[in-house]
Amino acid sequence: MSCYPVFRTFVLFSFLVVVSANVIAQKTLSGKVTGEARQALAGVTITEKGTANAAVSKDDGSFSIRLTSSSPILVLTNVGFAPREVAVGNQNEISITLTEESQQLNDVVVVGYGTRTKKELTGAISSVSGKDIQQVPVSGLDQALQGKVSGLQISSTSGAPGGNTNILIRGIGSISGGNEPLFVIDGFPVANAGVGNPLNTINPNDIESIDVLKDASATAIYGSRGSNGVIIITTRRGKAGKARLELDAYSGVQQVAKKIEMMNAAEYAQFVVDGRNNGYLDNVPNGRITDPGSLRPASYRIPAELQDPTALGEGTDWQDAIFRNAPISNYQLSASGGSENFKYALSGGYFHQQGIILNTNLKRYSFRANLDGKVSERLSVGASLAPSYITQKNLPVAEHYGSFGIIQSALSMAPNIPVYRADGSYGSLIPTPEGYTNIQNPVKIANEYKNPLAQFRMLANAYAEYSIIPSLKFRTTVGADVNYYKTQIWIPSTLSASAPVGLASASASQTENINWLTENTLTYKRSVKQHTFDLLGGFTAQKAINDGISAGAANFPDNLVENINGGTVNSGSQNIQEYTILSWLSRVNYSFNDKYLFTGTLRRDGSSRFGANNRWGTFPSASVGWRISEEPFMKSIPFVSDLKIRASYGLTGNNNIGNYRAIGQLSDANYVIGDALTPGLVRSSFSNDQLGWESMKQMDFGIDLSLLNYRVSFTADYYEKRNTDMLFVISVPGATGLTSAVVNLGKVQNRGVELAVTTRNLVGDFKWNTNFNITFNRNKVLAMSTEGEKIFGSTGGRGNTHVTQVGYPVGVFYGRRQLGIFQTAKEVTDYANAAGTILQPFAKAGDVKWKDVDGNGVINDNDREVLGSPHPDYFFGFSNTFSYRNISLDITANGMVGHQIYDATFMINNSGVQNNTKYVYDNRFISPERPGDGRYGRSIRGGRNSNTIYSSQYLFDGSYLRIRTVTLNYTLSNSLSQKILMQGLRLYATATNPFTFTKFNGYDPEVSNSGDNILASRVDFGSYPNARSFIMGVNLSF
Amino acid sequence: MKITFAIFTLLSVLLTGCRKDFLEVIPVTERTVGNFYKTPEDFNNAVVGTYATLKHPGLYGNGTGSLIWLGETVTDNTDYGSTRQPVNISSFEIEDFNFSLSNSYFSSAWVGHYAGIARANAILDRINSIEFDATLKSQYEAEAHFLRSMFYFNLVRLFGNVPLVRIEINNPNGASNLSRNPLAEVYALIESDLKIAEAKLPDVISAANAGRASKWTAKALLGKVYLTLKQFDKSALKLKEIIDVNRFSLMPNYADVFAASTSFANNKEVLIAVQYKSGQIGQGSSLYSSWLPFNVNVPEFGITGGLGGGINRPTADLVSAYENGDLRKAASVATSYKTAQGSTVNERYAIKFRQTGVIPNDSDVDFPIFRYADVILMYAEALHENGNLTEALRYLNMVRRRAFGFSITAALPQQSDLSGLNAAAFRLAMEKERRLEFAFESHRWFDLVRTGRLLEVMTAKGYPIKPHHVLYPVPQRELELNPGLGQNAGY
Repeated sequence: MSCYPVFRTFVLFSFLVVVSANVIAQKTLSGKVTGEARQALAGVTITEKGTANAAVSKDDGSFSIRLTSSSPILVLTNVGFAPREVAVGNQNEISITLTEESQQLNDVVVVGYGTRTKKELTGAISSVSGKDIQQVPVSGLDQALQGKVSGLQISSTSGAPGGNTNILIRGIGSISGGNEPLFVIDGFPVANAGVGNPLNTINPNDIESIDVLKDASATAIYGSRGSNGVIIITTRRGKAGKARLELDAYSGVQQVAKKIEMMNAAEYAQFVVDGRNNGYLDNVPNGRITDPGSLRPASYRIPAELQDPTALGEGTDWQDAIFRNAPISNYQLSASGGSENFKYALSGGYFHQQGIILNTNLKRYSFRANLDGKVSERLSVGASLAPSYITQKNLPVAEHYGSFGIIQSALSMAPNIPVYRADGSYGSLIPTPEGYTNIQNPVKIANEYKNPLAQFRMLANAYAEYSIIPSLKFRTTVGADVNYYKTQIWIPSTLSASAPVGLASASASQTENINWLTENTLTYKRSVKQHTFDLLGGFTAQKAINDGISAGAANFPDNLVENINGGTVNSGSQNIQEYTILSWLSRVNYSFNDKYLFTGTLRRDGSSRFGANNRWGTFPSASVGWRISEEPFMKSIPFVSDLKIRASYGLTGNNNIGNYRAIGQLSDANYVIGDALTPGLVRSSFSNDQLGWESMKQMDFGIDLSLLNYRVSFTADYYEKRNTDMLFVISVPGATGLTSAVVNLGKVQNRGVELAVTTRNLVGDFKWNTNFNITFNRNKVLAMSTEGEKIFGSTGGRGNTHVTQVGYPVGVFYGRRQLGIFQTAKEVTDYANAAGTILQPFAKAGDVKWKDVDGNGVINDNDREVLGSPHPDYFFGFSNTFSYRNISLDITANGMVGHQIYDATFMINNSGVQNNTKYVYDNRFISPERPGDGRYGRSIRGGRNSNTIYSSQYLFDGSYLRIRTVTLNYTLSNSLSQKILMQGLRLYATATNPFTFTKFNGYDPEVSNSGDNILASRVDFGSYPNARSFIMGVNLSF
Repeated sequence: MKITFAIFTLLSVLLTGCRKDFLEVIPVTERTVGNFYKTPEDFNNAVVGTYATLKHPGLYGNGTGSLIWLGETVTDNTDYGSTRQPVNISSFEIEDFNFSLSNSYFSSAWVGHYAGIARANAILDRINSIEFDATLKSQYEAEAHFLRSMFYFNLVRLFGNVPLVRIEINNPNGASNLSRNPLAEVYALIESDLKIAEAKLPDVISAANAGRASKWTAKALLGKVYLTLKQFDKSALKLKEIIDVNRFSLMPNYADVFAASTSFANNKEVLIAVQYKSGQIGQGSSLYSSWLPFNVNVPEFGITGGLGGGINRPTADLVSAYENGDLRKAASVATSYKTAQGSTVNERYAIKFRQTGVIPNDSDVDFPIFRYADVILMYAEALHENGNLTEALRYLNMVRRRAFGFSITAALPQQSDLSGLNAAAFRLAMEKERRLEFAFESHRWFDLVRTGRLLEVMTAKGYPIKPHHVLYPVPQRELELNPGLGQNAGY
């Protein structure tokens, strides 16, 4: 919901008060204001147009006002309701109904370089009000947007404080150029830079509204940056009127929502014994299960401490050791107000979130000042200044345990090891010839590994707007996004891959990212009879410089100094990346009779990123709308409140092709000459003067329908997107001397349907509103460099698990298909091809049986096929608000259906070294009599059949329905709060992620190690789960 | 107000519009091809970059490159001492003779050698259009020819017929339709490159240039090329030139050839070696640590941190091939180690490139590509094939004498000397001598293929080798990108 209408009315009102002139008659009018369900509305401001006469409605909705003009007109305003003007006529008593504002067509929607009202829109744009995202206690607004907008697919891929979210608008349009939408904050297109998630630097409480631009008509004004969609964030600005001081504070606790049931120590030991015995029998031809360790190769010896499993009991639950109840709190103080000539909005905030894993956290200190002044009737100026400072304690949570991944370590660590030994030292596994591996004590990692991050960011911009004539305005904006961030990593010698002695190392990096922009636009608005024109023309220039310095050190004599200064600095580099964009832009909005709408845009972008022979691109779009409900023939259908159909088509681009990619570069190939390091240089990439942006053509058909006096509003869009000329790293023959080249080629299609429904089910004292949205997107690769080309995807060093190839969606799961588990030796020998060749000659009962895809009698890498998709068939969001008088309850939910998740967490853990789940223990193959569930084979270390090769065995249904938030609000009534000298008091309690319904057996169906890597998405490899949290908050205004 | 407007306009123009080069942004922390190859220093950097190809994972890498696997592990000399896991299937494929066409040891070798060839070609294409010191220019040019010939010689032996690329390819599609040239054409280029190299390379390499090729290096390579082509006359003549210059000799103590403590000036045996250097500058080798027993580190190994990689583990067959008294055995292999608790574990591992006191994957010891012992043994082989058995035996025995600790120069027969061999016995003796002398130096596979003995030797020891394994397959990726290459027979 936007506050602009209120603001506008206020301005209008103030203006009218000033110019009110003729006082002729006087009478007193009494009346009553009600809502649509006839409920009394209190606190409605009623003024007589053109006069200073005013009144406020009482709790029963009644009011009484003195009228002085000859033909008086009442202006009614109330927060949350549409302003209304009513001619009084000769009445002495009047009854007036106000309609809730959110349903209104006059809502202002922020579009690129301007605003439109909802009814004028011809493009596909969804708006979310700031207050809808502030109820979610998270660090970034993107996490809060989840499930709120159709067509916007958001996955919180990491539950770490400040963790990554993957955002897709209308599907995957780029294979290697990035799919993140363009973020525009108060008109400033910001670069995606910084540590962690850049949106963490924005305080969600400062946001007035978020507008999501989806179709080409809406995004083409952003030209070569528009094809992934645009998210426009508008922050709060001051309003003329009474100063308002507001305090918002919440505090609560977070916890892990689910634990994974693991084997206990006794079960683990048995699993290891079985695994090593099986491995021994498999690999040593004449081995017998009774052979003692001394006769066996090291890998198959049973470690002494595991030889009597039953004696070991429960052991350690490592999950309890790393997860904790973690506090989260947020405090914000803001002040706003001003006069007609000077308005201000100031806010300061402090947010502190500890992670549910030991020693992880995020703190944000943020400040914002938005100032607007009127220098003269023609000239207005303003400025925004938003500095923020973030510190983060990061840990290598979602990594392989060999890289200190805490979750992997906790899940893989032997449960017979204690967290602490009796002497207080950390329990640990020491690699031995028996083939233990270097799993570190995860508590030790959390305590000793240091990876602090800090980021200072300031968004600053200033504008001046000058009315040359009333209908022609010139606006110039100058802004900068200044962003400094630094990271450090410290690994003490005690955290070595081969305990107890190792090598300490440290690294540090600091980056300065400065992005500046100037925009100059002319707007012309004119209405002539039934024709309304709104023209825009402009010129912009933007330059970004990223300058990073990093250094590493080794040879630490001790662990006393936990940074590069404690050792010998032995590596360092500086990397400066710059790019520039020059643009011309224009837009025509035309409407005839407020019924027939047309919008055309054209942008020309030139960028340093593009090759010398392909430097400028042109991006046009056009859209039309027809407000059918305004036609006379529709007036006879009273239940249709509003009906509009829309169509748009346009061309946009994606300039995320990296800097300098068109320029052939050299890289270091150093060598040792004369016993000294000697620089060598070799060509590392081809030059490509033709390299350009990725192109996207999008068609959109939409319908907006409101029924029953706006009780039911419905928006549906069908879209079809074609991305071409994609940034493509093609493989080239090795004989060129290089292996790859960057070119533009390929074609990807996204087609989809979006539906959004808002209903006001009950409108009386007891109110019930529902929002529902659902999106169906179908993605398909139509062309690559060759018909048979496969781009493999990999996440977290898990090998090639995904493929991108023609005819399939981008990045689908690809590997061997598991047909089952061999139950007997006969089943192995029976599994032969027509020529009688045994397909899996090394297999034994209990081993995995794979499909011979190419039918050639040998199972190898050529027997991989597409196994499933990480992309949902559909995703949806659903919210309900129930309110009764001062109490309201909000419940929001979202979900995704029809995709799979590659659960890599336990893939490596069948080898008699690491721990695994209780489920695997109970459902593995033991004997033909105890066959297990047919998915999990026998426990075996170093088996000749290589059961742990990636296959469909590790794919699971990832569908989920998640209750995102449940919020209970209590708002003190106006009269009561005024008694205690306040404008308002609201108390609230929110539960986040209280329930998740899914068949996925990992921690969280949403997280993924892939981050934004769309070529290998939805891989759970010890990812940081999203927290469940409970908070209590208070909002006070004075 | 007009003034204000004018100011805004002016400001906008000043900030942006008047700079024509606003869209010309050149990397400031990266070097570009456009401004390279202009000065003598540029060419020196380009030549050093070409030498650095030796450390490409498709060649020797840091001690675990393709040539280690394809030259040594594939044979009866070594195997892979890790536990079989899905992640290392491709490594076990090598010793199992169960090659996947997509095995990265093949693609990496192909890509790595061609990368080196392109680097050499880039120098040769441009060096004549830039004016600078004639001596330097001739040296750089000769080094490019030498390196290019070495890369082609490896390629032609690994893969058979290969496409000949003589100039730098600047179009990504420039190699998509190349076909494979016949062996004769490849060898013709190798020979002509080496003739230029031996004529123009420096006679003496100063300590400051240690690691670079001299004309003697080129002659050694040319001698080996002729030997491979069975042009024994030419081979003997070329190798004799190296012997006669009297600048190279066998180190009295075999282990000193590989010791980090042996300085360049004192190492009279090495003609060229892959240069490694410790100090965490990205130039260290893992020749020792990666070859230690898999997943183990004990004090005895003397490396700080890290775990052994189990690569290039000597086979029992190799260990038992050493005769009693052969000092090379103790310098090359170990058969057990002691755990921290003091118990003995029987496990074979290579210690030829042993260096204690360094961190894993960061040792100094260089990896010889050509050393004088090879020159002598090749010379002996060429002499023998030419019918001069007596002289051949004399040279073979030089290497044996050093191995057993006897005087190389003594006129009288020494205990280690072989005598009275017929042609067949000589060949077997030579085969064994080369196996032991160059164990772990990635000669074994090339030697057995050269003498046509690979199938026989490996089959006799039970390896599932097939006749087509005398060449490696053309890598899958190359075939997919250029189907015209065609696959080697048998794959």
